[in-house]
This record gives sequence, C-alpha cells and structure tokens, in this order.
Amino acid sequence: MQTPALPIVLVGCGAVSQFFYAPALTALEGAGTLKVEALVDPSAESLAKLAETFPNAARFARLEETPIDSRLVVVASPPKFHAPAAVHALTHGAAVLCEKPMADTVADAETILAAARSSGSLLAVGLYKRFFPACEALKGLLEKQPLGRLISFTVEEGGRFGWQAASDSFFRKSVTPGGVLLDIGVHVLDLLLWWLGEPETLLYRDDAMGGQEANCRLELAYAGGARGQVHLSRDWATRNCYTFRFERGVVRYKVNDAAHLEIQADGMPSLLSGTLQGPGGRPERSNPQSFIAQLQNIAATLQGRETLRVPGEEGIRSLQLIERCYRERSGLLEMPWLTPGETTTAQHLASL
Amino acid sequence: MKVALVGASGFVGTRLLECWKLGGGAFEVVPVVRSFSSLAVMARFELPWQVCDVMDAPALARAFAGCEAVVHAAIGDPSQIVGMAGSIYQAAASAGVRRLVVLSSSSVHGQAPEPGTDETSPLHEKHAMAYNTAKVRAERLLNQLAQDGRVEVVMLRPSVVFGPRSRWVADVATQLLAGSATLIREGEALCNTIYVDNLVHAIERALVVPEAKGEVFLVGDAERVTWREFYAAVAGALGVGMESVRSIEPPEFPKPLKERVGAITSRPAVQKLLPLFPSQLKRLTKVLLSNWRDTPMPNVWTLPPGTPAAVTEELSLLGQCQWRLPIGKAERILGYQPPVSFQEGMRRSLGWLQFVGYPVFDSTQKR
Repeated sequence: MQTPALPIVLVGCGAVSQFFYAPALTALEGAGTLKVEALVDPSAESLAKLAETFPNAARFARLEETPIDSRLVVVASPPKFHAPAAVHALTHGAAVLCEKPMADTVADAETILAAARSSGSLLAVGLYKRFFPACEALKGLLEKQPLGRLISFTVEEGGRFGWQAASDSFFRKSVTPGGVLLDIGVHVLDLLLWWLGEPETLLYRDDAMGGQEANCRLELAYAGGARGQVHLSRDWATRNCYTFRFERGVVRYKVNDAAHLEIQADGMPSLLSGTLQGPGGRPERSNPQSFIAQLQNIAATLQGRETLRVPGEEGIRSLQLIERCYRERSGLLEMPWLTPGETTTAQHLASL
Repeated sequence: MKVALVGASGFVGTRLLECWKLGGGAFEVVPVVRSFSSLAVMARFELPWQVCDVMDAPALARAFAGCEAVVHAAIGDPSQIVGMAGSIYQAAASAGVRRLVVLSSSSVHGQAPEPGTDETSPLHEKHAMAYNTAKVRAERLLNQLAQDGRVEVVMLRPSVVFGPRSRWVADVATQLLAGSATLIREGEALCNTIYVDNLVHAIERALVVPEAKGEVFLVGDAERVTWREFYAAVAGALGVGMESVRSIEPPEFPKPLKERVGAITSRPAVQKLLPLFPSQLKRLTKVLLSNWRDTPMPNVWTLPPGTPAAVTEELSLLGQCQWRLPIGKAERILGYQPPVSFQEGMRRSLGWLQFVGYPVFDSTQKR
C-alpha cells in the first residue's frame, strides 16, 4: 500500500526557502513523498514568490492562522523567530524541522526542546551536511581508524560574503547576536561535535569591534590528544578545506563537495582524489541530494521506517558550543596592519 | 566633519572605515553600499550604514543627507564608472554636500605613462583598456558637472594601491606560491605604489584643504619602487626564491573575435546601419560567433603542461612603466606627506596575508 504524502507547512519564504527548500520539496512532491499544503510569511511579496513554485499551497501571514495538526512544519524564518514558531507548532500537534541555527540563543533552543519533549512530537534540526557522503566517510575514518589515530586537524571555511541578504538585520548585532561563527560556524561545529565529541579545552578569538565578527579562529583540544584549528571568514577567501592528519595519512574534505575526498596514506607518493561511490558504482549523493536526503529521513522517521538522524538534542549542541566561544572569548584577533593606536581602540571596542 | 563614503565595502573603503573608526579623527563616517551582503565586513563595527543603488541619484541624495562631504571610492565596470560619477555628483548637489572627493586613477594616463607625465598632461579616450577610458570619461563628466558650482570636486589619481585586502598583495602571493608569478623584462619597470594608509591621508587632506577645490592630484608613496622589488618583498616573506619568477617580453593580447565584432557593432554609426541587414543574417552571425573557437582544440599527445604565466594585459602594460608619477602638486597644495614608508606598508600588508592564512614567515620583522 502506498504511504500517503506527508503534508508540509513551510514557515518563512526567504532566501533559504527559495534556494534550498523549494527545489528539494518540489523533487519530493514529484516522488509522492510529501505535499506542500501551506506557505507562511508576513511578507506578501515573499509569499507570492514562493507561490510560483507551489501554486496550490494556501498562503498565510501568521502561523497561528494556519492549520498544522499532524503536519510537518518546516521553520525557515530568520533565527530569532524560530522559537515562537517551533513551540507553537510542537504544542499544536505538528512535527517540526527547524532550519539551522536551531535558534539564535541556547535559551530559545532549550525552550524548543522542552516543547518537543512535553508534546512527544518529532523535532529535527536542519544540519544537512551530516548527510554528505564525504562527512559520513570521515566519521567512519575517525571511528574505525583505518589510518590510525587522529593527530590534528585544520578547518578553513568561508570567503567573501555572497548570500543575498534581504535586509541588514542579519548584520545588526542587536538583531543577530553573532557573525561568521553563528552563521557558517553552526555547520562546522556540528560536524566536529558529531565526529569528535566535545572538546576538552578551547581558545576562541575574533575581530568584532563593537559589531559582528567577520573572521574568527578557534583552537580545540580533545581527550584523545587530538588538536584542531578552525578559521572561519566572511571577509576573504579561505582554502575551504578540512584537513585531518592521522597517524598513517592525511584526508582532505573540500567544503560542500559532498561526495568527494582526497586521501594520502603514508607510502603513497601522490594524492588520491576521488568521488565516493555507492553500490553498483553509482556516484554517492551530491550536495542538493543530501539536502533532499535529510527531508527523506524525517518523512521516513514519521512513518516509522527510519531513525531520525539530527534530532533537537543534537541540533542544540553546536549552538551551545558557539555560546561558549562567545562567552570565553580570549580577546581580539591580532590585526598586524593596524597601528598601535588603532589596536588600542579596537581592543577597547571589542571589550565593550 | 560628517562624510558619506560610497564604496565602503571595497579594499580602500574598508581600510578608510578602520582608520576613521579606530583613529579617533575628525571624521564621522556614513558608509554607503549597493547591497546588504556588502555589509558583512564593516559589520565588525557599529555604523550608520546606508544601502542604495549608486546609479539612483535620488536614493543616494537621501543617503547623503546631513553630510558635509562625500568620498567616492566605488568600483564598477566601465559603464558603471561613468554612470556612478554622474549619479554621485547629482546626489551630492541635491543633498547640499559641499565637497566631493573622487578616487580616480593614474590609469587615465595609461598604465605606462610617457616620461614627463603630470596632472597637466592631456588625456585621451583611445586607451587599450576600457577601464582607463572609462576613468577619463568619468573625470571629464565630473569636470563638466562641477561647472554649475554646486559641489566642489577634488580628484585623486593613485596608481598601484596596496595594503590589506589588496589584490596586488594577494594575487602576487598566490602566483608566487603557485609558481606562476611572472615579471615583464625582469621587473625593472617602475611600480608607482601607494600604501593604502597614504591614500587615506591624501583623502583626508582633499576633504579639508580649501585650495584643493576643482583640482586633480597624482598621489603615491615617497619611495621609488620597481616591480621586482615589490615581488621580492612578498616572495621573501613567503620563503619563495625570486629565481622561480619568470621574466618575459610583453605579450600581445589579441581581443577575441566576438569582442572585436562587438566593438565594431556598438559604434553609433554602425548601429544606424544595422536595421538595413536582414534579421536572418544577423541571427546566423550571432550563432556563428557564439560557437567560434579562438583557440584550436588541444592535442592530447603532449608533454605535461607547465604552470601558465600569470600576466594580464594590465600587468603587462604596468610592467613597461618607466616614469615615476610626480606627487609634487599634492605635496604643495594638499600638504600631502605620505606617513607610511613602502617598507612599513609592505610589512603591514604581509601581516594581513598571514592573518588570512598565507604561509608568511616573518611579517612581524622589520624589513
């Protein structure tokens, strides 16, 4: 017997919905997995734009007006609005997929988690990079250790900011409390927590001088002795590469290259760079296919066929680590091009 | 003085914001950018930014409200360079701005200016590079507009501006590390550098010196620097030997067929004649041009290729410069005295390279 299509309510019709959820949900609608029933956004313009993709979906300005019982509510509004929307949905009989970051503060994320626990409803968090075959392969390498123990790693991610922000609220510290760490750092730290667990110690610095950081550096140390360095930027192109040095080789993952890894085991004179393959030699999931796989996992979990890969308890962890970084910030990054006088003022602004 | 800064997210704009936010000077800055995404780096500070289309004079005028002066540091393609000059002037005039300081370029004289070139040298609009011609047209347009006397215009003509976030520093470093760095004729040509803080100094002087009104100034570092010296400073910090830098004669840069045909058909006289040709013929020509290959398919039976030389047309022309552009007029009228030496500017630039992740060994060491 065919499983009925999962009804979807999409909350927030901005850039992430337009560029990620719309094509992914369309693909899954075509496969009969789900059906987009309603779109919710206070902006009529944003609603109209997404309605071009889902013309049969009802449109609502507020979630409170929207029928949501027994549906999957996808919360893709700006982070500061995640908590009220997710809590409302969870307490009114809906399952929730909350886009990353789960909320803009740990306190809000805990409120969402509490609502999920008391309602017993499903709460997933949109950390789809865990579905990248390359990230799954790295988890296997770290756990099974075919190249030996992890010695150290470097993570370099980011470049000139290119996301088409619809307003300046994303850059106002009063509205969005963090910069690059709260933005791309959510994925980065989620992957590191998934792969390696909690770090024993951390040293965090950034370049915020009264506003949001555009560059940050994080040094991490783990119980097993591994050490790591993370450099994130929305200012200048990084190498966009994760490098893991094991006892018997080096593995590289290029950011967002979902099914590709580079491996240089000891004794190999050259680097092996290749695409991961599934059964029958079929190339593994691409980046967009991984985004779709995340939605498939949620649908299959609701139908009792799979286990949820990224539940709320997992989603909150990167947010907790980010807040720890901001709380334990070890001062301003050294900016060697500033004059001594400028450095003093910068340190003062950073300390306010 | 309250100053609107157009192009605040660019290389010069970013450093100007740092100087004015951290320097405790006399300038209260209103950054103006084209898109919200341009706010990412300046958001390190709390700033009263304005986001608007720089071609939209009424929107710009609203952004300039209450400002005594405007600094125009925005970049763009050739048509935008000319268009922006007009819209920014009109907006400044509408908003009651007293002075407009414009970052033009020494490229108005070409990348390899004739010996003897100074601010009085005549300009022309037949440059090999469209950028140069656009800068000439923008200057001419501003001079023409300024005749209404509503806004005082001061234009600065820097040449090779380097510093943190400069393409000259980052590109040279990338090429040195990749083994593709190339100099024209051993790099003996003159580089006409200006460290970005020296340009900031020139901008500050241009904003406040009354006698600068209506004038244009060449600005540069105090030192005479060759391209070889510039590359050597970066190479030394990266631990790359200068023997890995190739030296070549200036190559030719033939324009692709499509661009050559485009240049002909865009001429006003040709545009008038085009309706006389049958539309089928025009469509066929477009199809042929879009499928035209300027270079033949490569032969697979070859030795592994070496790293290609990294020389653009601009770099090739700059690599033939034999004239050190004079800064005497800026010294005399603006009181311009470059506060940072080339060596110190390079040391700070290398510190930035290290900051963004390049393998710099000794950026903290005085060079």
